[in-house]
Amino acid sequence: MSKTARYLKAPWARQQLELLLPLLPAGAAATLWYDNKQLAATGADGADLYEGAPAVHRFPLVLESRELGQVLLRLPPGTDPATASAWGDFLVHSLQGVLEAQHARYSIAQETLESYREMALLQRAVGELNQSLKPASVAASLLKEFADRKDNINFGAVFLRDTEDGHYSVIGSFGHQAEDVCAALQASHLFAVMTGHPHGDIINDLAAGEIAALRSLMWIPLSVHGEHLGLLVLAADRLEGFAAADMKRAQTLVSVAASALRNAQLYAAEKVMFQAFVRVISTAIDAKSPYTAGHCRRVPEIALMLADKAHQAEHGPFANFTLDEDERNALEIAAMLHDCGKVVTPEWVVDKSTKLDSIGNRLDLIAMRFEVLYRDALIERYRATAAGQADAETAYQQCLRQLEADYALLKKCNSGGEFVSPEHVERIQNIAKAHWCNTQGETFPLLEASEVYNLCVQRGTLNPEERKIIEDHAIHTIRMLSQIPFPRALRNVPEYAGGHHERIDGRGYPYGLTRDQLSIPARIIAIADIFEALTAPDRPYRKGGTLSWAIDIMHRMKQEGHIDGELFDLFLAEGVYHTYTEKHLPAEQIDQVDLSRYLDPAPH
Amino acid sequence: MGNTKIAIVDDEVHIRALLEQTLEDLEGEPEILLASNGAEGLALIERERPRIVFLDVMMPLMNGYDVCTAVRQNPDLTGITIVMLTAKGQESDRVRGMETGAHHFVTKPFDPDEILALAHRILQTP
Repeated sequence: MSKTARYLKAPWARQQLELLLPLLPAGAAATLWYDNKQLAATGADGADLYEGAPAVHRFPLVLESRELGQVLLRLPPGTDPATASAWGDFLVHSLQGVLEAQHARYSIAQETLESYREMALLQRAVGELNQSLKPASVAASLLKEFADRKDNINFGAVFLRDTEDGHYSVIGSFGHQAEDVCAALQASHLFAVMTGHPHGDIINDLAAGEIAALRSLMWIPLSVHGEHLGLLVLAADRLEGFAAADMKRAQTLVSVAASALRNAQLYAAEKVMFQAFVRVISTAIDAKSPYTAGHCRRVPEIALMLADKAHQAEHGPFANFTLDEDERNALEIAAMLHDCGKVVTPEWVVDKSTKLDSIGNRLDLIAMRFEVLYRDALIERYRATAAGQADAETAYQQCLRQLEADYALLKKCNSGGEFVSPEHVERIQNIAKAHWCNTQGETFPLLEASEVYNLCVQRGTLNPEERKIIEDHAIHTIRMLSQIPFPRALRNVPEYAGGHHERIDGRGYPYGLTRDQLSIPARIIAIADIFEALTAPDRPYRKGGTLSWAIDIMHRMKQEGHIDGELFDLFLAEGVYHTYTEKHLPAEQIDQVDLSRYLDPAPH
Repeated sequence: MGNTKIAIVDDEVHIRALLEQTLEDLEGEPEILLASNGAEGLALIERERPRIVFLDVMMPLMNGYDVCTAVRQNPDLTGITIVMLTAKGQESDRVRGMETGAHHFVTKPFDPDEILALAHRILQTP
């Protein structure tokens, strides 16, 4: 049904003719044809009137030079033709008046409805365009507004301008072979015209074959505060594809899209800068000690590998675990910063390779004192020999052997490589009772109290106070990260980073949290941290261990309730350890790992 | 196709005209009936039993809520979907509309495409 067909409605037309009939001479009849339909008829046989029949007068109905219908009027024989034409003119005039008023009403209403549409469109588009902080999503939302409509736009693309080199790249497009069309567009001479144009324009008569199958083109720059960000290009494969109204509508949407795009770019720039800061900090932590070099770089790599596997798992304990892009980003940042608290840990503790390390290794001092005792023994031997004592040599040899055995024990205990038994502790305490004296006759203990304390440390090289300092780094990590006003997407970073020394049985530090209190990302970082530490090529307390040795230790940690068993199983089953070691470890550390020793056979 | 009559009950002539013109684009060209106040609207609904009623909330003589309540209380009037039109966006209006038995709520100025899609969907539902 055409729009104009609605201008005259049948009931109203019938009424109009009925009202006219009594005014006409008796025997008259009239009919109204409109939009190729007989709309109304009145009088005797009125419905049967046709043009050219005897005594039938025809009066066309015209709107804006277009004939839309006709009135046929039959007056009784003998009526003056002038009278007939007067009645006809009167009727047609009133009908045309109505048509014109209706036409105006419909046009105005149409305009109003269009502006209602525009308003609704804007309202929806603003919401959608501002929903994302990714340039590609903004472009997709913008293009959707054109691709979904029935107004025959065959192609659309958003080009983004690189702020550094001014190069344009496609960040979204639709249409048949859109990629090829984009390339053709960029290769055409028109592209330079389009990118140089401040307001955009329409070309409705593209030559055939100039740019793929396109025949009409409309482009609008995406710009904010005069800064040119990119370009929206829409095209149709027919001539005269675009009108000024299309341009206006598109401009409205583009202005919103440009702001959204600018926001997305600013957000991306902020993110890049933040990541650079994080990298600088993690590099600084790594650089603090030659022994941990690369730790903060490698832990995120392992953590992400494991997290991705957990995310991909379709069955098993991680079937429901998902990691969206924001969470993945948070995990990476947390893993990079998990040791940031170490910036407040003194290097001599971090790097402490033997028990008597402080600023220097004090074992050297003890060796000097033993040297004094050796000399004293030698002098005593000479003195006794000179005095004619028979056992001088035997006593000397005995004394020497004793000193050598004592020093060997101290040296061994100092390395921290072995467990110090209670018998050893007793011997160390006995050694400490010995004295040496200087030439002024002053006496000094062979071992100072602090040296005894350190040497008696049962495991490793750190005494309890130093261990506390080390453990404090975890709490410093949490404290430092808690002061950063992370955005929503990153708000879990302190928790993820601060939990890497917790144990799932609650015996870890700093808070003694249990499995349920630790997030999966925190548990993942704990595993990544341990695995990296065990396999790192050089540590103060030992050389880099073999892969099978590290896995064996971690398996024991799983059984002891130290690390998350399900995550460790995933770590093994999905070959995360393998992928990582192949990439980062020297061949001599990589050996065969017998997974059957650690994993239960698959249930199916 | 069964009953496709659509009634528009609104005291503002431009809303009637705009809604009518919008709904004329529906396929099948349903019959569109107009009333300019609540009492007239209720009489029209009782007489013509339209499939859909677009009903303004604020009207002289009888407001939209009362018309809606009257329709719902009349056991003879079934199978009528009522779409309320309001210039106010308040959530409480919506709640009250739903309580009196309206199915849908559309704020003015309405989105013509939304109206068309809604009417189309309702007419497709037996």
